[in-house]
Amino acid sequence: MTSSIIKFILNEKIHEIHNPDPNETILNYIRLRLKKTGTKEGCAEGGCGACTIVIGELKNNNIIYKAINSCIAFTPSLEGKQLLVIEDLMLKNGSLHPVQSAMVNYHGSQCGFCTPGFVMSLFSMYKNNSSYDVRTIEEAISGNLCRCTGYRSIIDAAKSLDNNEPDQFKKNKRKIINLLKKIRPKSISINNQNKKYFAPRTVNELKKIIKKYPNLDFLSGGTDMSLIVTKQKKTLDNIIYLNSIDSLNYIKENNKYIEIGATTPLRKFELFIKKHYLDFNVILKRYGSVQIRNVATMAGNIATASPIGDSLPLLLSLDASVVIESFDKKNILPLNNFFISYRKTKLKKGQFISSIRIPKYKKNIFKAYKISKRIDDDISSVCASFNLAIVNKKIKSIKIAYGGMAPIPKRAIYCEKMLLNSNFSENIILKAQKSLEKDFQPIDDMRASKNYRMEIAKNLLLKCFTEIKKNKLIRLNY
Amino acid sequence: MNKTVFIDEKRPHDSAIKHVSGLADYTDDINEPNGTLHGAIGWSKEAHALIKKIDLREVWKSEGVITVITTSDIPGRNDVGPVFNGDPIFPSKKVEFYGQPLFAVAATSTDLARRAVLKAKIIYKILKPIITIKEALKKKTFVLKGKTIQRGNPTNAILGSKNYLKGNFTTGSQEHFYLEGQVAFVIPKEDKDLLVYSSTQHPSETQQIISKMLNQKSNSVTVLVRRIGGGFGGKETNFLTSSICALLASKTNKPVKLRLDRDDDIIITGKRHDFYSDYEVGFNNVGIIEGLKIKLASRCGMSPDLSGAINERALLHIDNAYYLSNVQVQNYLCKTNTVSSTAFRGFGGNQGMMAIENIIDNIARYLEKDPAEVRKNNFYQKNNKNITHYGMKIEDNVIQEIFNKLIKKSNYKKRYLNVKKFNMNNKYLKKGIAITPVKFGISFTTIHLNQAGALVHIYTDGSIHLNHGGIEMGQGTNTKIAQLVANAFGLPYEKIKISSTNTSKVPNTSASAASSTTDLNGAAALNAVSKIKENLEKFVKKKYNIKNIKNVIYKKGVIRFNKKLFKFDSLIKEAYLNRVSLSSSGFYSTPKINFNKKTFLGRPFLYFCYGASVTEVTIDTLTGENIIDQVDILQDAGKAINPALELGQIEGGFVQGQGWLTMEEINWKPNGQITTFSPSTYKIPVASDIPKKFNVEIFKQGKNKENVVNKSKTTGEPPLMLAMSVFYAIKDAIASVGKYKVIPVLDAPATPEKILMSLNELKNRINYRNK
Repeated sequence: MTSSIIKFILNEKIHEIHNPDPNETILNYIRLRLKKTGTKEGCAEGGCGACTIVIGELKNNNIIYKAINSCIAFTPSLEGKQLLVIEDLMLKNGSLHPVQSAMVNYHGSQCGFCTPGFVMSLFSMYKNNSSYDVRTIEEAISGNLCRCTGYRSIIDAAKSLDNNEPDQFKKNKRKIINLLKKIRPKSISINNQNKKYFAPRTVNELKKIIKKYPNLDFLSGGTDMSLIVTKQKKTLDNIIYLNSIDSLNYIKENNKYIEIGATTPLRKFELFIKKHYLDFNVILKRYGSVQIRNVATMAGNIATASPIGDSLPLLLSLDASVVIESFDKKNILPLNNFFISYRKTKLKKGQFISSIRIPKYKKNIFKAYKISKRIDDDISSVCASFNLAIVNKKIKSIKIAYGGMAPIPKRAIYCEKMLLNSNFSENIILKAQKSLEKDFQPIDDMRASKNYRMEIAKNLLLKCFTEIKKNKLIRLNY
Repeated sequence: MNKTVFIDEKRPHDSAIKHVSGLADYTDDINEPNGTLHGAIGWSKEAHALIKKIDLREVWKSEGVITVITTSDIPGRNDVGPVFNGDPIFPSKKVEFYGQPLFAVAATSTDLARRAVLKAKIIYKILKPIITIKEALKKKTFVLKGKTIQRGNPTNAILGSKNYLKGNFTTGSQEHFYLEGQVAFVIPKEDKDLLVYSSTQHPSETQQIISKMLNQKSNSVTVLVRRIGGGFGGKETNFLTSSICALLASKTNKPVKLRLDRDDDIIITGKRHDFYSDYEVGFNNVGIIEGLKIKLASRCGMSPDLSGAINERALLHIDNAYYLSNVQVQNYLCKTNTVSSTAFRGFGGNQGMMAIENIIDNIARYLEKDPAEVRKNNFYQKNNKNITHYGMKIEDNVIQEIFNKLIKKSNYKKRYLNVKKFNMNNKYLKKGIAITPVKFGISFTTIHLNQAGALVHIYTDGSIHLNHGGIEMGQGTNTKIAQLVANAFGLPYEKIKISSTNTSKVPNTSASAASSTTDLNGAAALNAVSKIKENLEKFVKKKYNIKNIKNVIYKKGVIRFNKKLFKFDSLIKEAYLNRVSLSSSGFYSTPKINFNKKTFLGRPFLYFCYGASVTEVTIDTLTGENIIDQVDILQDAGKAINPALELGQIEGGFVQGQGWLTMEEINWKPNGQITTFSPSTYKIPVASDIPKKFNVEIFKQGKNKENVVNKSKTTGEPPLMLAMSVFYAIKDAIASVGKYKVIPVLDAPATPEKILMSLNELKNRINYRNK
């Protein structure tokens, strides 16, 4: 059964939007329709965090609180969830939530415009963790820009938090869980002034819809695609939303590979992958912000096919493959053959990525590096990934991939050939570095010049091998 | 003010609770009357071109559009230039930068307005743009004539010096990136009057410029500003947004809100001047500068705006904390086809200071001395070497005390050695350390701007309404001025209500700028308080026949006339019933200052702020990445009214300066198109970028020698320059690769790319020498 009514919890009550405009952002809904102006627009592209809200999701009879950017999320994605905005944190008697009190006591606001966003990011951190070390805090607010304070006061406010004292949300949790159970998400089908929007709940429904409407645009986290609306000022007339399909949100593993469902948020994957490929976790933690990674998905990252999508060179060097489905077919394609040209993939109309498989290499060395102007929440100048096996001091297998070096994320084939079956001599590394010039002809842009890109690509190779040789990391301690 | 007891009270920002709960209203949050329209600006896609045709037919037809305005809709002055002409609201013949507004629409929603402006068809005849400082210098295009200032005979002094260096240096531009973008909301009233809400640092000039644009009198326009979401100079002269909004409201006779999208904001509005300098310097064997000749050129963009004053401040700060006996500075105000560069925290001072710090750093490296020693050797002294190159005697110098104290406190000497040790033991990661001083002059160098007004009412219940000409932009000026007023009346802070800055309450105000908002407006508020007190005291003395009284004491809600005590609230009621005025305006103008812009001599500043910082960094020589391991700061804030707020200003200023000197980079294509116009392409520091150890202290012995409110010193702009030590620590780390024998060439911002390129250039020079 499908519905065109979006139901969500607001102020501990069920709230309905009938047949909403599928291009309306949650931010505009909050500010222009609900007339709650505490949530701010700073950039309309998910880059400053002033619009941060928290979404409560029912999971295993519990509520998970996710900070997201409301400026690049569309209203139908509220279906079946709890919406928390800054005005909801203060109690009716005017007393502040512990996160708010801490921000006041530590002088964490100056001009105050970014502050609601910081409070919401810290609120979700507060709800989802029990202790707050500096790196947890930095990560929680890496998607929030403040131009006044210099952050020290905000970090100190966050450090002072202690969530052992139950807040009002803990006290009312049962009530909200019951409400969330009442509005368990339905399949959504909206037609608003010729703008279509589907949010199927199962893969079967999805397949039926794409059979009927093969020209729909797939929307997952929408952290890239929503900018068509908010920045280019165009409309997305035919949306099929994938993140409503719970059965695609999974991580499985067997002896040979790890399988990640298409709609698994990056945030969930980054925690999981740590035990297998530590550097994958390290890179993902610097990829976008928590707000972005709470909604952005692996499949979205792959289908977007950006040359600077940070998970892509890592997946390429791990020789991952994508499972592609259409309404009647399913096939598996190595990721290495998936990208055709700038932002073009082998995905045809009516096909979707259902999962990603990452092989397990038990004896290999896996290393990844990301170079950007800013450490957190910045787009790579170059991202490099190395996956190699060394037997008796000889390189027995090697896969190297780079992002930011070509119109697509790409393997360094010549470089790999140069290194395969060689030993670790400096001479070989020099030659391998040189061979990168055959693999890549990077471009100049506002992030980095082509010369710089080539040079760090070479230096990262050297860094990788020096780290292996010395069995020691050469990294800045951030 | 009680002469011996100072306010020293940490308290949260007056709006802190509203900030954290989303209840603080900014311009875009004000409730809109029914029928409010929304604006959007259509702008030029060329940097330098003649306008052949503007075809707006499709814009008019676009959904929701109510009106479209162009240059022909402007009844009065088509210019928002604050000092000079040159900033047309809509140019009629020629566009001079990519992003220049050409027309605007009012529509039923912001979304529809923004969609509509994209439908314009504009035909240009493209002219060759001048984009860089070097191109402008070559073509000799300037917005204003440059100055040459000189003391002594630098040519001879350089010739006579034992050592000589020459070189050049660049500091980059910077986007303000206030989190609240430019926004205005204009409501038409009867008699063509306009009520203007605007996110501006300068309500009075907003009022004047809108009036002139509409050919109306200033008394028909009222500007209100409760608070702004950051300014940093970017809202000092940006009158385009409010003027266009007012024009739309005036034409439609409907309330209009105009809020710029972030991309438009960065593209349309001005940024920091980037500077290029060429220098020659002669110095002795301990690094004392004997002669200096320096040329300072800046990218001013397409119009003068505030470039005259900004470049003047660069000249005035070319000395930083150093005595320059023989010096010549020439400056060039380059006209380019880029958005007009504008005010930004530091206002040219920081660019001048970076230029001299680079020279001092190079001198130290040339002599293979610790740069800290060379800096000290050049400092202004207390009793001699205390006259600046513009003839001002420095009477409040505390730089030696601060510098020496910080060297001790930060354990600089030991860490300096540890850094060298670390570098010997690490091949790829290198550390660097630097200490830099700050001396920054306080006052508007345009003398007449150093005035302020305030308005204080006491209502019959004893509650106080406070208004002044300053803008609350995060710095906490409202909080501090309320503290001053509460203290002067001997009342609890909560009795004071701070209200929106309002041109109909306090007229003819200066911009909240030049770090002097609290100094000026606080003094004006206290002046108003003292006038009311005079009324009260006169009344009491007469009625109760009190004579021979020196001081009336206001404390804890009680007013004491010798032995006679009055409760504040009861006395107010009594005074009211006896027809005593309980309201007063206040005024202040800064004493002592004078400056002859022609001879470049005088006393442009009431006082100086001093500070110093030590930074230790680690760089990765394979990638150019870097982190700040530790920063130690000692900053003079005088007798700080509210040390908690000052600390916030110091830390925030430092991190903003750190961004300017490390990661923030504006890029223009050769055709003048800006490519860094969003948070995804322009990176300001985030939480993880700040120093891993961040020790910030206010100089406890600090006390303003001049008669400034509470004997405090401002912390507005000065802390930005504390970040200079970050840059020179990075340069120190680079120098380690040449075993400290070769002077690195490094321009700001020191991005990872620039660091790596500097390392390469250094290695190439070493290889070349060894051949």
